[in-house]
Amino acid sequence: MIAWQGATEASIPARLQPALALEYGRSHDVPDAALLRETGLTGGLAADSLVSPSQYLQLLSNTLRALDSPDTSFMLGQLMLPGHDGAASHALVQAPNLRVLLESLCRFHARLTPLLRPRLETWGDVALLYWVDAQGAPSLRPALVEMHMTALVALCRWLGGARLPWRFCFNRGAPRHVEQHQVHLGAELRFGCQLDAMLVDAAWLDRPWPRASEMASRLALQAADAEPPRTPGLPAALYDYLLEHVRESPTLERSASDFGVSPATFKRQLLRHHTHFQGELDQVRTHVALWLFQVRRADNEEVARHLGFHDAANFRRSFKRWTGLTPGPIRAAIDGELGWLSSPPGAAAGA
Amino acid sequence: MNLVIRHLTVLVGLLLGFALVFVGGGTAIPLSEWDGMDIVSEGGTALLAAIWCMIVLCSRPDGRVTRLLAGGLACIMLGSWADCLDEVFDIGKVALWDNVLEALLPLGMLILTAGMVYWRHEQANLSEHLRKRERLFRSHRPFDRITQLADAAYLREQLRRERRNEQPCALVLFDIDDFHRINREHGQAEGDRALQAVAHMLLLNLRNDDLLCRYAGERFAVLMPGLTQQQGDDAARHLCRMVSSMRHHAGSRRVPVTLRHGCASAGGAPDALLAALCRQMDAA
Repeated sequence: MIAWQGATEASIPARLQPALALEYGRSHDVPDAALLRETGLTGGLAADSLVSPSQYLQLLSNTLRALDSPDTSFMLGQLMLPGHDGAASHALVQAPNLRVLLESLCRFHARLTPLLRPRLETWGDVALLYWVDAQGAPSLRPALVEMHMTALVALCRWLGGARLPWRFCFNRGAPRHVEQHQVHLGAELRFGCQLDAMLVDAAWLDRPWPRASEMASRLALQAADAEPPRTPGLPAALYDYLLEHVRESPTLERSASDFGVSPATFKRQLLRHHTHFQGELDQVRTHVALWLFQVRRADNEEVARHLGFHDAANFRRSFKRWTGLTPGPIRAAIDGELGWLSSPPGAAAGA
Repeated sequence: MNLVIRHLTVLVGLLLGFALVFVGGGTAIPLSEWDGMDIVSEGGTALLAAIWCMIVLCSRPDGRVTRLLAGGLACIMLGSWADCLDEVFDIGKVALWDNVLEALLPLGMLILTAGMVYWRHEQANLSEHLRKRERLFRSHRPFDRITQLADAAYLREQLRRERRNEQPCALVLFDIDDFHRINREHGQAEGDRALQAVAHMLLLNLRNDDLLCRYAGERFAVLMPGLTQQQGDDAARHLCRMVSSMRHHAGSRRVPVTLRHGCASAGGAPDALLAALCRQMDAA
């Protein structure tokens, strides 16, 4: 049975990520009452207490609203990693190169980035890290992506001693505060893409960092592995599950039983994360299709077969429904730089 | 409030004084021979002029213009009051003082006119001053909470305005080197202090026409109207030297602060221009 965490189960230590958001708000003269409104944390954050993901999300949302400044999410991101989560944070700091850092981040995501789950894909000379919802917060999604991307960029810059030539894709239109992205992330930005992802030349993955020590890194990873793992949020667990079973046409009933609950409970739990089974499945299938287009250079026929569709026409229709675009324009853009993640040129012009 | 009472006392005192002079110097005309219309219109003029005088005195700071305006109105008030009293008391034709008092009305009008001329000058000066500050920037329109500078949105607006101009204009971006390290090692509050220090240093070394903005994070932008790219680049080098010679301290530790810059000629679409310049900054 698959382990997962509900939206309202207290699971995040209050002294970690939630305390960070609260402190940031306080340092900008926002009263506690405004920051903790509707979180149910009327007594403040006790140091050894646990906070549920939905409470943490509400706290973040309050902070963003109270400060009403376009740089809040970026400044919060700067503070986020490596974090103060003992062995897991230590494993990040000890990473001897980018590859180990990214793999550690993905392995301990439930502890280090409980709201968004990073996933690493590499092929050819490209390393791609993309962020999927771990808790589901559609209205906060853009701010969360800004925050997590900034956290990782800042951490790499700190550990590596230099700015990495990241390129960024955003599953949203061009924002009004693009200057914040340019300064905190980098100038290579694409908006209107199908994924929230950051790419870097794979050559950077194994370049040793200053102060790197393989041994210290190994020990830190062992220590982090020895600690009991934290359970990921339901959307993150479901994404992993669906990605693994995407070729078997997963159904709600089958998935619910693999997650150890009735379909009705499963539905209700997903609803608490502001999502539903079909939406999650469509997202996974979109990502797999994009990956096949890009990495395998697959045509519609092959992708349809891979995902268990009757024929290419059927797949084409579904793909249009998932993304708003037919596979044609996306594949046509693949030859361009960053192409596979971007919309056709017209839609990306704002970037 | 004290001042209001004082002004009011003076005005009422003057009016009463005039009335006393007329009571002493003339003989009362019987009620049946009063010309009601004249009395109402002249007395009303005096009363209204008194109100205008009070408004001027209470709403303006003391100064030449204020004194001229108030004095003119006071003379008009007294002249009309003398006229009005003239209707009630009979003054002999030989008494010159009565004519002199009535001449206060045209005199008041002259003084009021002079006051208005000076007032117009004053207004022109004020709006010139405001216009300069608007163009100029500085804390006039604080957008950014930390540095009190304009933000990127204001910069884009000014760039769009600059596009319509014929004269050259340079745009420079500045980044603080290794700023992230100040934030990590000393905390964000120290980082904010460093930003303020750099903003001050840049401001002190800018021309009056330049516009300094905090673009985002540790990136500043300076718009230099009238300068070519080459001149802008020279100016930017100077600014970098000035900032690097500054001694900034975090607690008791000295933190070296240096800048790097990128320069372009302003023109073309602001968004594309800024994106290209940011790319240049990343590569630097």
